[in-house]
Amino acid sequence: MAKPFSALVRYSLQCAAYAAFAAVIGYFSTAPPYRQRGENEAVLKLSFSHSGQLRFACRQRDAAELAKLQPNMRSAMDCPRERAAVRVELDMDGQALYRVSADPMGLQKDGAATVYRRLNIPAGTHHFSAGLADAADGLIHYRKELTVDLQAGQVIVIDFVTGSGGFVFTRG
Amino acid sequence: METFLHTLRRADEGVTGSFDRAFAPAHNPWRHLGALAFLCLVTAMATGIVAYAWYDTSVQGAYASGLRLQNDPLLLGRLLRGLHRYAADACMLLSVLHLLREATRGHYRGVRWYSWLTGIALAGLVWLSGVTGLWLLWDARALFSLSATAEWLRVLPLGADLLVRNVLTPAALNDRFFSLLMFVHIGLPLLLLAGIWIHVQRIALARMWPPKALVLETLAMLAALALLWPAVSMGQADTSRVISVLSLDWFYLFVHPLVQALSAQTVWWMAAGLVAALALMPLLRPAAAARRAVARVDLAHCNGCARCVADCPFGAVSMLARTDLTRHALQASVHSDLCAACGICVGSCPSATPFRSGEAMVSGIDMPDTPIARIRRDLQDKLAALPQSPKMVLFSCRHAADCNARANPTTLVMTLECAAMLPPSFIDYALRLGAAGVLIAGCRAGDCEYRLGDRWVHERLLGLREPHLRASVSRAQVAVQWCGDQITDIDTALADLRAQACQETALKTPISLPA
Repeated sequence: MAKPFSALVRYSLQCAAYAAFAAVIGYFSTAPPYRQRGENEAVLKLSFSHSGQLRFACRQRDAAELAKLQPNMRSAMDCPRERAAVRVELDMDGQALYRVSADPMGLQKDGAATVYRRLNIPAGTHHFSAGLADAADGLIHYRKELTVDLQAGQVIVIDFVTGSGGFVFTRG
Repeated sequence: METFLHTLRRADEGVTGSFDRAFAPAHNPWRHLGALAFLCLVTAMATGIVAYAWYDTSVQGAYASGLRLQNDPLLLGRLLRGLHRYAADACMLLSVLHLLREATRGHYRGVRWYSWLTGIALAGLVWLSGVTGLWLLWDARALFSLSATAEWLRVLPLGADLLVRNVLTPAALNDRFFSLLMFVHIGLPLLLLAGIWIHVQRIALARMWPPKALVLETLAMLAALALLWPAVSMGQADTSRVISVLSLDWFYLFVHPLVQALSAQTVWWMAAGLVAALALMPLLRPAAAARRAVARVDLAHCNGCARCVADCPFGAVSMLARTDLTRHALQASVHSDLCAACGICVGSCPSATPFRSGEAMVSGIDMPDTPIARIRRDLQDKLAALPQSPKMVLFSCRHAADCNARANPTTLVMTLECAAMLPPSFIDYALRLGAAGVLIAGCRAGDCEYRLGDRWVHERLLGLREPHLRASVSRAQVAVQWCGDQITDIDTALADLRAQACQETALKTPISLPA
């Protein structure tokens, strides 16, 4: 049977146990430090939610087609709800930085396409060119270019707002 | 797998033993991890309620609220904030340790599957509660965590793409977002409380609170930490800048660096894999030898005293209206899906006395695999067969040290599923059969495999609980050793008891009992 410790030793060990627990809690509540970007890096965030164009144009139903439909469904025009995927091309200083094609959300693919991408880029002056294709033809219908000087740690957000004419560059 | 778990169990026994020596066994914090986690949760909730009075749920006010507390000249704000933060951190750490300890002790299968599964969910809720609390401070760490969480969630088909847009620019964020966050941060701990209630539903006499000394010491430790190492905010969240180095709260925010180092998808798969593995652990079947039939009630011998109901550690026995038209009002009924087959109910049954006459000994509640009649017969036969005196009987728990090697010409070893399975009258019976001493050995004090066995044995021998050991039985001939796997402790206790009992029995002569 292990010999019991004296009261002094037991209290000392108890204090040591509590101190060790407190040290673990205190230390890991703030440390070790985490580096989320390089010293000389800025951050670019590309984010938008945009509904592409309808993939197919409306068309007139002929009499045979209408006859096949239930009476309450006999709409003269057939307008498919599916929208085109949204394709984005983002270049920095003439080099391709990011390419993505986002499908519309929803079971019928009739919702908005959303894009989010965070990129760490070197700080300094950069020339950005952003293009977006949102129609079935796949052609770039929106393009915006901007030269911007980014400090280390600075954030630039690239959004797309149709009402504002397309791409919007904002400093975080 | 069994070998691996056995090794872990040995390691746990070692840690428990070390803490037992530094603290009293009853105050061993390693034995109260779940209760300590609950204490920390309640502390975090209580301090959170007070802190809420100072919290401003607005974009500008959120950060200022944290600063106001941390800069309070009277240090009360620092104390409040530190207690809230560190209690939350401790709660997470203790919850994980509690889960790991229960896993090493194999407490994820059998009747414990329910507590195990609900425990996994609770650990997740603790984590979620803590993460949302860190967001409320709205400093650089909160912005990073919120953005990183939104990015992590994006890969799931939840439509979470828009969440990340809330923290892209100052214009995207409004005060209602903080009201929502606060709602979530209050709601999750309330859900936790409800979850804890569910977690202990299948446990009788659940130990919700640690002993008073541990409560006071833990609170003092957290308060000292809060004052000496204050919890402080980083700079205010600024969506236009990303600072290079962050001080993370690793108890909650460990997932973000993990996502960064691997990928969001990988970490989701890892999390799903971990949860699935933990959730499937109850399906791991114990070795065939460990599978035991559940307790069975024999109505002809059950008088409806309800002692088995009071003693069952898992609430597996309940009393029902009598169905056999006898004069007794109630009868015991065993819920087989809740019964751990520990046999503690047999130890509590007044009919399980070996002094009963009759052709066959039958108790009101019994274990089909080790019926009490067989224990009596073995005790009679094997004790009589011991060739040398003084004869000692060692009743050992199957979950404590393996005592079979201690059987010798003077010592009879009888292994029971739990020490509390032994009705106290068997001690008296063994002494009357000629044993000089009876030693009961089991798991470490407070660490009974079936939760309450050591407590019930202690109370029965002291006469505080029925059925009790008769007062006329010489206590010098009876010893109890709660030692876990420490076989040397049993050797010492046996030697001491032998010496003590020999003096006591010097003038006694064993009586003969009817077969």
